[in-house]
Amino acid sequence: MPATDNQGSFLNRISIRRNQFAPIETCNDQEQENLELFQRHVADRFADLLYIHSTTTTAAVTNSNSNDHSSAAAAATTTDSPSATHETHGPPPPPQLLSISWFRNLLDTYLCCEAEFKAVLVSGRDPSQFSRPPLDRLIPDFLERSIKALDICNAVTHGVDLVQHWQKLAQIALMALRQTPLGEGQVRRAGKALNTLLTSMVFDDKENANNNFHGRWTERTRSFGRRVGGGGGNNKDRTAGNFRSLSWSVAKSWSASKQIQNMSANLAAPRGGESTGLALPVYIMNTIVVFVMWALVAAIPCQERNGLATHFQVPRNLNWAQPIIGLQEKIGEDWKKKEKKGTAGLLEELQRMEKVAHSLVEFADTFVFPMEEEKEAELAALVAELAEICKKMEEGLGPLQQQVREVFHRIVRSRAEIIDVLDQITKMSAPVPY
Amino acid sequence: MDPEKDIPLPQTSSPTSASASASASVPHHPTTTDPDNKDDDHNTTTTTDNKDHPNNNNDSNELHPEKSDQEDLPQQNLGLDTPSTTKQEAEAEAEAEADPDPEKADDALDSDIKEQEQPPADHVNLQEPPPPLSLDLNKVSEEVDQYISTILSSTSKGDESTPPEVPTFVHQFALLIEAKIVDYECDENPMKWSQLEDQDSTSFLEATLRLSSLSKAISELSTEHKHAHFVNRIGGVLQRAMSYIEEEFKSLVEDYKIHDSDHSNKQSTSSTQNQESDENPPPPPESAPLPLEDNNFPGYSEDILSDLIRLSKVMIAGGYEMECCQVYFVARRNAMEESLQKFGFEKHSMDDVQKMPWESLEREIVNWIRTFKQCASVHFSSERRLSQVIFSDHPLMSESLFCSLSQGVILQLLNFADAVALTKRAAEKLFKFLDIYEAMRDILPIIDNLFLEESMNEVKREASMIKGRIGEAMISIFVDLENSIKADLGKTPVPGGAVHPLTRYTMNYLKYVCEYKETLEHVFKEHQKIERADSATGSDFNYQSQAQNPNNNNNNNNEVVKQSPFQTQIIKVMDLLDANIESKSKLYKDHSLSSIFMMNNGRYILQKVRSGNEINRLMGDSWCRKRSSDLRQYHKGYTRETWGKLLSCFQPDGLMHNGKVVKPVLKERFKSFNAMFDEIHKTQSTWVISDEQLQSEMRVSISNMVIPAYRSFLGRYSQTFTPGRQTEKYVKYQPEDIETYIDELFDGNAALMGKRRP
Repeated sequence: MPATDNQGSFLNRISIRRNQFAPIETCNDQEQENLELFQRHVADRFADLLYIHSTTTTAAVTNSNSNDHSSAAAAATTTDSPSATHETHGPPPPPQLLSISWFRNLLDTYLCCEAEFKAVLVSGRDPSQFSRPPLDRLIPDFLERSIKALDICNAVTHGVDLVQHWQKLAQIALMALRQTPLGEGQVRRAGKALNTLLTSMVFDDKENANNNFHGRWTERTRSFGRRVGGGGGNNKDRTAGNFRSLSWSVAKSWSASKQIQNMSANLAAPRGGESTGLALPVYIMNTIVVFVMWALVAAIPCQERNGLATHFQVPRNLNWAQPIIGLQEKIGEDWKKKEKKGTAGLLEELQRMEKVAHSLVEFADTFVFPMEEEKEAELAALVAELAEICKKMEEGLGPLQQQVREVFHRIVRSRAEIIDVLDQITKMSAPVPY
Repeated sequence: MDPEKDIPLPQTSSPTSASASASASVPHHPTTTDPDNKDDDHNTTTTTDNKDHPNNNNDSNELHPEKSDQEDLPQQNLGLDTPSTTKQEAEAEAEAEADPDPEKADDALDSDIKEQEQPPADHVNLQEPPPPLSLDLNKVSEEVDQYISTILSSTSKGDESTPPEVPTFVHQFALLIEAKIVDYECDENPMKWSQLEDQDSTSFLEATLRLSSLSKAISELSTEHKHAHFVNRIGGVLQRAMSYIEEEFKSLVEDYKIHDSDHSNKQSTSSTQNQESDENPPPPPESAPLPLEDNNFPGYSEDILSDLIRLSKVMIAGGYEMECCQVYFVARRNAMEESLQKFGFEKHSMDDVQKMPWESLEREIVNWIRTFKQCASVHFSSERRLSQVIFSDHPLMSESLFCSLSQGVILQLLNFADAVALTKRAAEKLFKFLDIYEAMRDILPIIDNLFLEESMNEVKREASMIKGRIGEAMISIFVDLENSIKADLGKTPVPGGAVHPLTRYTMNYLKYVCEYKETLEHVFKEHQKIERADSATGSDFNYQSQAQNPNNNNNNNNEVVKQSPFQTQIIKVMDLLDANIESKSKLYKDHSLSSIFMMNNGRYILQKVRSGNEINRLMGDSWCRKRSSDLRQYHKGYTRETWGKLLSCFQPDGLMHNGKVVKPVLKERFKSFNAMFDEIHKTQSTWVISDEQLQSEMRVSISNMVIPAYRSFLGRYSQTFTPGRQTEKYVKYQPEDIETYIDELFDGNAALMGKRRP
């Protein structure tokens, strides 16, 4: 990336000269330097996240397409568990795109960029600039967007709760399938837990947006649930209701997709004279916020996510934004696939869990005691992969959730700090309401 | 699968069971179905006859109440039931022949079900005395128990000898249980747990546990192929039993009722004013009134509760504790969500809260406080007790379930407070913020005591952080108030020198604020500190700039030292108000009016301070004395300004020349007195002193000053004029007239004056 980046700053310098006479706030050299540094850091940090993706792209593709679960498991295990016994080639590969570890990096990146942004925007600045164009318009807009991001953070926090619930169901299946000798009862027990898991995933995703889930759900029930579930139809409907309300602690009408749409609605790249001034970092930060929230919503179950792919676009001509655009395209493609397939979320572990769960349910459906050796090997691979996914979730979801909270509180804190600055300049604030 | 294929299995067992005589007895009761289809002893006694009665299940259920009539049957059977071992062995062999691959039968569960759905038909016949060889669950159970203990003792002895064959009664036992499950969960008419008689449910649970230990024991015994098959068989049945129990546990745990009796109580208290929340902090968790009086544990009847306990015990003992926890968690989580709704707490996104009109938000805040208090004082502790009661043998599990359940609810509740803290600040919001803050102050310690698990630390941290935000928001509101007062620079004076709306608003606000003195003292101590610690751009700026306010130094220098931060804040606002009012007084061109304005406002401020206990204590006696003396100064200033000039008309200088009154001078004096008085009356009747006491004080003091002087002046000089026209011309007012006119001053009523004027 360094080549393009230099070019970027070069272009920026040219445009400064061109816009020297523009009546915007005059940036001194130091400030201009900080601004360029900020852009470069943003580009570098996201390039790291994208680099992760481009090196593992092929692996990711094969993972998602092949049925060879053990290889996928191996590739993923080596990522962050040195204890993994699989072949180790060179340094551990960076986390896979959209995996829990990747999201933890993404949130770290967000926090870094945010801190730098605040430094660029606030520190050492004459507060009165906040009351002049373009900040007088951009800052309130930025603050409003922050609030919307908070809602996403909350939804994602609950989404992670839900994923943890699924993880527990998967662990029931794991526990059952690890018994030796593996009998029919345990296989059915695993099947039941996984069916509950898959049903919950379907419910979560389609929610009451359309009635699709009914078809899918009953289909699955017919294939398995009836035999293992017992209890009669009445019971199942109640089960169905549960999943929905377990998932969402947000307002009923709230839609993650709409929230993202609102957040990116009036997000326009600064033009002309503004494109080199303070409008730029604000725009960059806005873009980062929207991108991070968008990626979270795409990966982690959130209430109502229809049409998410189209709700966020970054202009393609911005140098600092190239890595973000790259990521955005890749995730957007995945999302479109997802909308067709109807999976619970793009979180890498979640996608694999869903796939393994399907395979295991199929396995359970055709299970005959005693197991043939061939089948035994197949099962061992599936169980190993599920175990590996559960382990990653066990290790990663808690910290991820905490990080989401950290982002939440950071946003609140920064908002307060910016408002403090605004308070200094708008002493005339509110008239006494007599 | 073809059902015929599986018939041999039950059929082969029938010779030892009731079915031989049972099928014989069918003709006796072809349609009267035995309601006792769940009876332990007879389920497996399937015969081909059953196929003739496909509706038996339904019938049997309708007749359910009669069931008790049949209850003695198993006991009766007991004595008769002496199966000969030889026969059993033979039967076992027959079974093996008929179905050499038992797992095949299991695979073909569907057909199993079809086949085994029939058992009730047998019961039709069971009113006949049961045959000697009937499969009796009690009997078989005893045998199985013995068998298990034999195995266990042999394995513990490390007995290397080849394990014995699995005896037939063990197979029978599995079959009996399976048949029962099939019966319970049949599609057309599933048996709900609550419909089971105590005896049946108990024996079912016992049987399930027995299955579980049986399966454990045999799998420890050997891994031999033959045994493995059997373990598989047992495991399959055990799974079905557990699955049934899980579903029943689920539907029972979902069968809660949320009663809203507490709700109506709470509503009445919380709709009253916030002072009440001061006096009635929620009771500590120990003394919290649990809704136990009605024996209705978080919405469960005693029966359901005891069933939940029994089922959960079996699930956990059988190794299904994860399922149990998940089911319990999902159901209780939903129950808690529902009860939040019942309390009137609605979920709003942060975004929505920002956009909500304040009036609506105020209502939501009231609901929130009620819900939060209810949760902390009643809800959480009863939820905890529920999990303690249901999982009494597993304190860690119950605690962790309780914590993760409550965590979600607490976070949701906190989230609302957080959203409110982020709304645009406004002075009028202070009081609702105070209510939220006080609620949190009271409730967070309860929550601290309630949740001791480490996993809750994060929630607690968030809670105190959000409380901090509310605190900071309140401080910001105060800062805003300061700024607003400073910024209130209107150029139009209040007509008549009346109390300025700014004074009125600020004083009423402060007086109300001081009702929350204790809380605010705390807030200022806690959160001002935080602000200074972590914010370079914070409002220190404001504080510093105001510290330089000259009024500050003038008025309160000696008190500053011992002031609490809140007191400092209030005094700061008062000083700002004083400064503002003083500058507003300069808007009046007339000095007297300016003094009246200062008197009016000063008087208002003083009255407000004196009438409020808290604010009075806060400002202190010396402050009040100072204000009173200030008021007297304004009074004096006014009197001098307005009436001093008038009285100068009565000065004797220049009136007498060589012992004689200089008439033209006297005329001048009278003329100018009349003119001046007219003028004063004209203008100052439009002036306002709204405080009645002050108004009459003023009038009295003016009268006392003017009338005696006028009277004596009049007495001394009025004879100078020739009576009649001249006197009338110059002595326009009698002292009484003056008094009347003085009494018209400060009415603020210009129209009235116009009428009275001649």
